[in-house]
Amino acid sequence: MTETTPSGPAVELTINGMAVRAEAHMTVVEAAWANGVPRVTGVGCLEGVCGSCRILLRRGKEVGVALACETLVEPGIEVLFLPPPAAPRHQYELAELSDGWDIQARFQEIFPEAARCRHCHGCVSSCPKGIVVEEGVALAVAGHFREAGEAFFECVMCELCDTACPEQIAPAHVGLFCRRITAFFHLRPPNLIHRLEEIRQDPPGGGKEKP
Amino acid sequence: MTCSLSYQEALAAYRAGADPGPLPEPMDPDRLLSAYHPDYLPGSMTTLAVGPNAGEQCQRELAELLQAEACIDEVDLAGVPVADTDVLVIGGGGAGCAAALAAAEKGARVLLATKLRLGDSNTVMAEGGIQAAIEPGDSAQKHMQDTLRAGHHAGDPALVAALVGDGPDVIRWLIRQGMQFDQTSTGDLHTRPAGGTSAPRVVHCRDYTGLEMMRVLRESVIQHRGIEVWEQHSAVELLSNESGQKCVGAVLACRTDQSLRIVRTRSVILATGGLGRLHLNGFPTSNHLGATGDGLVLAYRLGAKLSELDSFQYHPTGLVNPPLLSGKLVTEGIRAAGALLLNAQGKRFIDELQPRDIVSAAIIRECREGRGIHPSSGGVGVWLDTAGLERSQPGLLERQFPKLLARTRIAGIDPRKEPILVYPTLHYQNGGAVIDVDGATTVPGLYAAGEVAGGIHGRNRIMGNALLEIIGFGRRAGAAAALSGHDRGPKKITLEHVNRARRALALAGLPLARRAPLMLPAYTAPGKDLTFTANRAKP
Ligand SMILES: Cc1cc2nc3c(=O)[nH]c(=O)nc-3n(C[C@H](O)[C@H](O)[C@H](O)COP(=O)(O)OP(=O)(O)OC[C@H]3O[C@@H](n4cnc5c(N)ncnc54)[C@H](O)[C@@H]3O)c2cc1C
Ligand code: SF4
Ligand code: SF4
Ligand code: FES
Repeated sequence: MTETTPSGPAVELTINGMAVRAEAHMTVVEAAWANGVPRVTGVGCLEGVCGSCRILLRRGKEVGVALACETLVEPGIEVLFLPPPAAPRHQYELAELSDGWDIQARFQEIFPEAARCRHCHGCVSSCPKGIVVEEGVALAVAGHFREAGEAFFECVMCELCDTACPEQIAPAHVGLFCRRITAFFHLRPPNLIHRLEEIRQDPPGGGKEKP
Repeated sequence: MTCSLSYQEALAAYRAGADPGPLPEPMDPDRLLSAYHPDYLPGSMTTLAVGPNAGEQCQRELAELLQAEACIDEVDLAGVPVADTDVLVIGGGGAGCAAALAAAEKGARVLLATKLRLGDSNTVMAEGGIQAAIEPGDSAQKHMQDTLRAGHHAGDPALVAALVGDGPDVIRWLIRQGMQFDQTSTGDLHTRPAGGTSAPRVVHCRDYTGLEMMRVLRESVIQHRGIEVWEQHSAVELLSNESGQKCVGAVLACRTDQSLRIVRTRSVILATGGLGRLHLNGFPTSNHLGATGDGLVLAYRLGAKLSELDSFQYHPTGLVNPPLLSGKLVTEGIRAAGALLLNAQGKRFIDELQPRDIVSAAIIRECREGRGIHPSSGGVGVWLDTAGLERSQPGLLERQFPKLLARTRIAGIDPRKEPILVYPTLHYQNGGAVIDVDGATTVPGLYAAGEVAGGIHGRNRIMGNALLEIIGFGRRAGAAAALSGHDRGPKKITLEHVNRARRALALAGLPLARRAPLMLPAYTAPGKDLTFTANRAKP
């Protein structure tokens, strides 16, 4: 592989079991490309918002997870691109949650594991976005859905926290559920509703306007 | 005479809040564009020799792909497993998800196939917001005028009327899917102006509008019982009937094990997005990795007419520094909030809220005429005065633009304290497949929605209209495709259109060596270089 290594001071690391050399300013993704590392399929936005480029990262004895497109190469690190997360196990359709009064009960039905959080911090230490995942889950269990959803505002749905959670709580989906029901039940903006009402009363091309 | 400065010199000379001087007399827009906009670079256009747009102007690198040989042949299809569905949606961005949901709402069985992970798209990266005329002083008519004017009157008025008419209901639909938007203290949706709008009209979720939209739609699609999703499946070719005149399905390739699958269906919706990753004219791009123009290539080979193939949007404010973020977007929302553009001398040179093509051309002019700023890593740019904005409205960046801060934090830059260096970046494909108000292309059975479709934005798009288009027209295409063509009789699936295209290429004396669609940019393959030439060349 040395012949494909770009010139300049090289950093040596391992990606998917392959020893590679990269330039110091490269991200792990660029290093993988430059060296033709196979099985790098989970790369998309290259700016840390699509959550696809999940990696396991070993620095000496320390093991963690991260997003490859935001991780710069370092000498001696070992990187393993992770497979995509499994399909979510928690099923619900928003349109079926018609009554806001029983929403706490419905939440417990859909996410029964959430109340069993054992506060292991696994989710928090795996989140590349520094989200207070554990606290968010606790807020959701207590019925504070708006605040819980807000905690997940910068969540990119990499689902690394879901992978880490020993109770299979799927914290990322808990957070998204909280955000979604907040909009679904409570976002009723007067300016939008007013305009929709004007359109309903006087639809475009409804005969009143000239064609 | 040139007075361009190095990054260090320019930063040392920069004073937040210093007088940026009066705006210079604006240059005639047409002259500015033809002298500096990348669409007008000498040699950047060519004339198409084959296909539905033969004889028309087309960007050179795109033309090479439109006039290329298919990736597969009849022999490749022997023994390939076949799946049947009512509606096949190709592409898992916002348009694809909206189309899938709308088709499923109409009772169709839907298969959504997407090249990367579901939601890994340009949609998830959108920042600034989505347009809808909802403010008291605003109207659909004004929205329509703004859209047509900014597009240099090349847009199709029927499509634009449909777009702007959909606006308010699109926002309601998104809220019903569970999408949040920023509100004012009285609960109204917060609106921003954008370059080229006559009223504040862009609603948003801080500067993460696309992320909020995409994660919500992705969840809706995954949770919907009527929609099956195949991730990591690229459409490599469409399928046609015996005469090669109607779309009857597609061939998909699995990226993880390279296996092929045939999908037979009564309608196909292309929602494959844009082409920033073709790096037209050597420009960096704001787009995600999958934006390689696949949908245009597939549609063209099957005989669909395309439009505006010589018009692309270069967003004025792409990051220059550091190389890892080169081409990444700084949302126009920052300029809408009041941030100024300054050249190396600290002077303003353009009204920041002019349409994007004008602002981009002006930035390129400043740099080419020696009033740019050169970082040591190469390239050139001008200042976007975020620090000045922070000074006049303390706390604003943190409140409304968390994404910008998160991104630059990784690069060790604090936009609250220093201005950031920007240069135009390849951002958006203004044209695309010609469609009607149902999203139907000129080929029966084939629909297109989102960035892959054309006709709405003319020759320049205003901020927020793309997100409106993907939802509005995604839903239109999904509903129409679900209800269309109940001819369920025996259906032959062929690659007749591929044979026809090959004959045309041979007849025109064009080489058959090149294959398209690309699927991924070349630099993801071993040993390819990742630097872009556009703003690296010396003026
Ligand atoms: C950084 C950035 C910021 C933006 N900000 C705004 C904004 O503030 N407001 C606004 O209105 N617009 C904005 N835009 C534009 C807007 O986001 C896009 O035009 C829009 O989201 C495109 O949506 P889409 O669904 O058509 O395509 P995409 O969202 O790009 O989705 C296309 C999908 O198709 C898949 N695909 C591609 N080829 C194939 C194939 N061969 N087979 C299978 N699948 C395939 C891709 O992987 C992807 O998932 C922005 C764009 C970018 C890049
Ligand atoms: S909360 Fe979970 S899914 Fe969201 S960014 Fe953090 S780790 Fe990823
Ligand atoms: S990983 Fe799961 S169990 Fe552990 S703290 Fe997070 S949510 Fe609770
Ligand atoms: S590629 Fe999207 S988060 Fe890394």
